[in-house]
Amino acid sequence: MNIIPCSIKTLKGLYDISGVEVGQHFYWQIGSFQIHAQVLITSWVVITILLGSVVIAVRNPQTVPMDGQNFFEYVLEFIRDLSKTQIGEEYGPWVPFIGTMFLFIFVSNWSGALLPWKIIELPHGELAAPTNDINTTVALALLTSAAYFYAGLSKKGLSYFEKYIKPTPILLPINILEDFTKPLSLSFRLFGNILADELVVVVLVSLVPLVVPIPVMFLGLFTSGIQALIFATLAAAYIGESMEGHH
Amino acid sequence: MATAMMAAATTSCSPRRALLKPVASSSSAPPPRPRSLLKHLPGLVATAAAAAAASPLPALAAQIEKAKLFDFDLTLPAITIEFLLLMVALDKLYFSPLGNFMDERDAKIRAELGGVKDASEEVRQLEEQAQAILKAARAEIAAALNKMKKETTKELEAKLDEGRQRVEAELVEALSTLEAQKEEAVKALDAQIASLSEEIVKKVLPSA
Repeated sequence: MNIIPCSIKTLKGLYDISGVEVGQHFYWQIGSFQIHAQVLITSWVVITILLGSVVIAVRNPQTVPMDGQNFFEYVLEFIRDLSKTQIGEEYGPWVPFIGTMFLFIFVSNWSGALLPWKIIELPHGELAAPTNDINTTVALALLTSAAYFYAGLSKKGLSYFEKYIKPTPILLPINILEDFTKPLSLSFRLFGNILADELVVVVLVSLVPLVVPIPVMFLGLFTSGIQALIFATLAAAYIGESMEGHH
Repeated sequence: MATAMMAAATTSCSPRRALLKPVASSSSAPPPRPRSLLKHLPGLVATAAAAAAASPLPALAAQIEKAKLFDFDLTLPAITIEFLLLMVALDKLYFSPLGNFMDERDAKIRAELGGVKDASEEVRQLEEQAQAILKAARAEIAAALNKMKKETTKELEAKLDEGRQRVEAELVEALSTLEAQKEEAVKALDAQIASLSEEIVKKVLPSA
């Protein structure tokens, strides 16, 4: 008869130690809407880190780049290269979008793994990477959709919609479906990877607090970087795809 | 993962509670007779278990709320706006200025490299000029050297000639003095021969 309470107590103990608070949010009420405060706070931190480091490093560019400027020039080269490979010669106007996408996701992901958010106690929920929340990833994915529609429409006008019946009109449903699966897969890939990564680390830490989680943490850093790269690359690829003409 | 398990536990527990509650309420009804008690025994055991299980569960359920993974709200537009603002800010602070700076530097370096290529043509011309000057200088020096050599040889020959002439003159003089001495000697000898022959004659022919 005591089995159920005992096991629940044990589980609760484990739960308290591990302190996983997935899907629990610290709400702010704005008007009649609710907002996930932990996501907003961490995203502000991420934005501050980005803007701060950029301002410090690039404020006064030197002909011969030093440490910080050198790093940011490398990053810019990397982003330009990425955009150029995916979009083609007209990549110039899209560099800010792709670059911000990559940097925001990358810094968000790494902030979840590297910054000691746990130090700051919230009344409810916990601070984690902004990309740990489905709202963020869906927002980014929808922005990507809007971006590639804008790219296609501004390049080709209304004839952009001819792509829906491009190989044959039979593919029309699939082509329309693609516009929904693209943001869906983008957002869920990022969300799932980051959430799973943080969960694996937290659960491993709760089970074996020493040594064992370290490789998983490094794996998490690797995955986070790769996810940022994948998101940015796919966004650029979609934009490039909608801009290129099927002649 | 632990939370997912917990969520599963709470959700799987709550329907059981709901299912068991009617039984519990029926047991609080008029006291049953022994026979019916025997008949209700499994139900009673279940009731007791439910009573034991139900007491910690509501508290726990209150603590562990259902995970809201797909909880869309104002966060989505907020993040969208934040992202757009970040994009504009990064463009103004990072992508445009540093990109332009890098492009300008690139163009400058390319121009300088081109300039260096032109300069190499100039350098080649200068080198040719230098070679020509060097050649001329060498020819001049060779000519001067030749001239000097010739002059020196001429001078030397002149000196040699002079010396030889002097030697010859001295030789002739010496020879002529020798000749003169010889003649003198011969003369003297002649005189001696005459006197001697006279003496010989005197001696041989004393009677003369």
